[in-house]
Amino acid sequence: MTREHKVRTVRILVVIAAVAMIACTLAFVLREEKVAIDQVILIDRPARIHPDYSGTVIPPNITPLNFSIREKGSHYCVRIYSKQSKNIEIISKTPKITIPEDRWHALLDDNRGEALSFLVFVKAEGGEWHRFSPILNNIANEEIDRYLVYRKIYPVYSAWNRMGIYQRDLQKFDESLVLNNDYFEGGCLNCHSFCVNNPGKMLIGIRSSKYGSSAVLVEDGKGQKIGTKFGYTSWHPSGRLATYSINQVNMFFHTAKTEVRDVIDLDSLLAYYLVDRKKVKTAPDISRKDRLETYPTWSPDGRYLYFCSAPLSWTDRKAIPTDYNEIKYDLMRINYDIDKDEWGELETVLLSRDTGLSILLPRISPDGRWLLFCMSDYGCFPVYQRTSDLYMIDLEKASQTGRYEPRRLNINSDESESWHSWSSNSRWIAFSSKRDSGVFTRSYLCYLDENGTAGKPFLLPQKDPDHYDTYLRTYSVPELINESVSVAPEKLGRVIRGSPDILCDMPITTATPKAAVPAAQGKPWLTERE
Amino acid sequence: MSPTSYSRSHKHLTSLFLGLIFFILFYSYLWLYIDLRLIYSCGGIITNFPVFVKSWVFFRDYVSHPGGALEYGSAFLSQFFYIGWAGALVVTVQAWFMSECVDYILRTLGLSVLRCFRFVPVVILLIIYTRYTYHFYTTMAFLVALLFVCLYLRTTFFLASNHVRLIVFVIMSIILYYVAGGAYLLYAVLVVLYELLFKRRFPLGLLCLFLAVAVPYVLGVLLFGGSVINAFSDSLPFSWRILTFESRKESITAIYVLYLFLPLTMLSSTLYLKTPGSRIQTCLRSWVKKAKVSAGPPILRSLLESFVLLAIVFATVVFSSNREKKTAFSVHHYACHRMWPEVLKAARHPTENPFVISAVNRALYHTGRLGYDMFCWPQHPDVLLPTGEDRILVSWHKFDTQIDLGLMNMAERNLNECTQVFGEHPMILKRLALINMVKANYDSARIYLGALSKTLFHSDWANDYLALLQSDPDLSTDSRIQYLRSVCPEKDYAVIGYSKEKVLLDLLEKNDKNRMAFEYLTAWHMLTRQLEKCVRSIEHLNNFEYPELPVLYEEALLIYVYGTKKPVQLAGHQLSSKARQQIENFSRIFNSHKRNKQEAFGELARDYGNSYFFYHVYGISGVRK
Repeated sequence: MTREHKVRTVRILVVIAAVAMIACTLAFVLREEKVAIDQVILIDRPARIHPDYSGTVIPPNITPLNFSIREKGSHYCVRIYSKQSKNIEIISKTPKITIPEDRWHALLDDNRGEALSFLVFVKAEGGEWHRFSPILNNIANEEIDRYLVYRKIYPVYSAWNRMGIYQRDLQKFDESLVLNNDYFEGGCLNCHSFCVNNPGKMLIGIRSSKYGSSAVLVEDGKGQKIGTKFGYTSWHPSGRLATYSINQVNMFFHTAKTEVRDVIDLDSLLAYYLVDRKKVKTAPDISRKDRLETYPTWSPDGRYLYFCSAPLSWTDRKAIPTDYNEIKYDLMRINYDIDKDEWGELETVLLSRDTGLSILLPRISPDGRWLLFCMSDYGCFPVYQRTSDLYMIDLEKASQTGRYEPRRLNINSDESESWHSWSSNSRWIAFSSKRDSGVFTRSYLCYLDENGTAGKPFLLPQKDPDHYDTYLRTYSVPELINESVSVAPEKLGRVIRGSPDILCDMPITTATPKAAVPAAQGKPWLTERE
Repeated sequence: MSPTSYSRSHKHLTSLFLGLIFFILFYSYLWLYIDLRLIYSCGGIITNFPVFVKSWVFFRDYVSHPGGALEYGSAFLSQFFYIGWAGALVVTVQAWFMSECVDYILRTLGLSVLRCFRFVPVVILLIIYTRYTYHFYTTMAFLVALLFVCLYLRTTFFLASNHVRLIVFVIMSIILYYVAGGAYLLYAVLVVLYELLFKRRFPLGLLCLFLAVAVPYVLGVLLFGGSVINAFSDSLPFSWRILTFESRKESITAIYVLYLFLPLTMLSSTLYLKTPGSRIQTCLRSWVKKAKVSAGPPILRSLLESFVLLAIVFATVVFSSNREKKTAFSVHHYACHRMWPEVLKAARHPTENPFVISAVNRALYHTGRLGYDMFCWPQHPDVLLPTGEDRILVSWHKFDTQIDLGLMNMAERNLNECTQVFGEHPMILKRLALINMVKANYDSARIYLGALSKTLFHSDWANDYLALLQSDPDLSTDSRIQYLRSVCPEKDYAVIGYSKEKVLLDLLEKNDKNRMAFEYLTAWHMLTRQLEKCVRSIEHLNNFEYPELPVLYEEALLIYVYGTKKPVQLAGHQLSSKARQQIENFSRIFNSHKRNKQEAFGELARDYGNSYFFYHVYGISGVRK
């Protein structure tokens, strides 16, 4: 062996030794710690965990419910088990419990309809282990739609700058961007709406000082810019038309209330966009001069348009009326024949006079049975009303008895509940709630059984269980969809930056005239809301 | 050592020494005169000062797009502006690197004659900071692009194959574009010019030119899914993120010069210096030679060069400085930190900036001088209590006035607007946490405190409050919070625009011991010349422990008494004979000019320009010479 060979051999050996040492060190550092829990002290209560994932019903396809244990200790151990499958055991030196995704999904999948328990052990400072009573949850049989689309924005007052619409894969922790205002050099985007939980047909409202106000219509992966902005939008189940509101929104403020903001629609009406004919229309009964119409929603059979309506008693459309806290919306519906494009008679579903509350944001379950809506003390915008709670009407029962009987759901809190949406199997709802802080809106998921009984809602899980403790943006307008939005943000951005593909003239002669004009031309931020 | 090499090393040492002196002066200027803490504090004036948070998610969000890594680094380094000396050090090191890079590039291009250009970036940095503008990210992007140019020149210098050069260019392009985003274009342009004009490697140059366009599109748009506009402009001075904000456009010309001077130097030098037999080349060379001879020995020449450089720097500083702006920044900084004597000291130069005057009024209140000295500054009713309806996002210190008064909802609204526009700046978060604690919204306060605990320099404050919320959930031991709760209005009503008088009256209705509300209400009546209301307000003086009747109140009372002949109720206080004498003198002067306001102005301004008598007559103040 030459000297050169020897040197080379020595070098190789040194490298191998170094690699082996590094591998051993890594293996030692990253080894799975075996903890012997021989003797335990039983604690006769469940451990405090955050977020509160106890007593809930969860979808079998939900991402792991990572949580933090809010008990003092030096080591933590959590055993997750159900009727079948191998238990999941997590040992951690920190109170953060990160559940392995594959094993979690296997456990949930094997135990649909069964109970799911978290058994928490905490090693106290004295060295003894405490075992808490198990935390019990249930796994539903029915899956939730896989994606949740929401807007993330700082608590909005008048100005806006950073905002985006995101989609979250509920089976994973992945969140991806649908569109943010970087793609059109700043501006506002809101009111994302989908046709029966399908992102194949989607509308997003845009306001931009540079590119104008518009609605982006996405159909089968292609984007089109409609030269008018849509407000609250509801797709006809056929996908052939979208009804939307035009609102003259004014924000005002409270001097001493906990919620500083409040909103009033000084004027509003409904209009509809016929997709095939590329035309905007309205009808007398949905755009009355003496009424404020808003929040349209279609029944799943496409025969009825439900919407909210309040009397318009003021003539000055610039000042906040002194009786702003007396404005209450009724729930109406109107028959529609899509083939003939003909509207039927206006019907009253529920009167605010009877409930004593303002009825807002109606949404009907895709199976047509449940009408879910908000009621608050007054006004048109439940997010800013602490009194806003979720109510439900059994439409099947109503069709038999002829009476619409609202029922307050047992999932409400002392803070505002709003922006609810249904999963396509009618078993899950996603909604916004401020229950955790009173300021920051978060998305909650909740199970509803076939009788309309709601399970305890749970917070949208995050990889870092403490995510919400420091997160200053709100999760607004959560919409469940069954596929992911596949159009790239830049593609939507190009549509917005381009000139309108479809120009729409508003038929203002048949509607409340002033509402047809954008609320605050030149000051688009004035109409911004969470 | 040969005489030549000795001379070279001596020259090198001299150059190093003079460079060191220059940068020490540069550093001292930034630290001691400019004081970069002012830029850190002035989030309401500088709208693009970045936020930095110690969290994985924050890091991940940045590095997930081209240019994000540099943005993250710049945001981190910018936080050191919070500590004056550290911020100055960061900028000085940045300036030094820039000058070294330019020097290296010019030497490599054979343009040693233009080495003095290495100070151009330094001078531009001086202009930027002397004008109190913030372009740190853009200048860092410039620096990183230059570093990559240097690396390219050095790496490819010994390479024989154009293919390898191209590979080097591509690899560096990918890395640089990912790190610095659009600033990659500067690198690409300089390399293209180098290859085409200096090395005359046309195929390589043209390929590089093609790649200059392709790399941002492929990486920025196709791979990272960004907007095509952002892919080519992010981190560059012509990005819409800069040009759509008036405040960010300040000093933008200097940044354009920074980005353009090297490409232009390369272009022009090729046209003039590299053209054989060029007259300009000949003239320049002979001029340099003559200058070298006439300047004498190398040491003297170095000194002369340094002197010229210092003269340029001095001129730059003089022409760029803006005392008015410095005053505004200083006042803002001290007001945000509740350093009242410093506020008054910084505002001693005459200014009509409404936000400065607003801070001065607050400082006067906190030092017990509002009733004595407020008319030493130019006052206007709009200035006393900015409610946030106009220019809402400017000068955050005005929100502290609202907090001090007890107007929590008003301050909350305004500060939330700021978060929306400026992001999670620690100064905003601190105030929002405080407001939520005062309003007993503990859960939201914890979220603000949680976010604040992840910042570099404000985590202690947040952690202390988080601990306090654990041990004392109602914060009953926190005297400031207890005081603010005692002055918060309880009467709720809907507003679009605030009536200042009503707001102040509500505060006094809630707590008639709210001294700040009392003084501001009295000041409001004086400023709006509502003497009847002013007198009624002063009659409540006994609710507070004033050792004497403040001079300005005396003046207002005297104007009322002399004007209406009605008596005033001043339990425990009396109008002083001195004040009576003052009003009589004032009247005498005024009458001596036949009650002609214009004619009496000069004399009255000289003697009474800072008095309420003068303001009442002329509606202006702070004019005493």
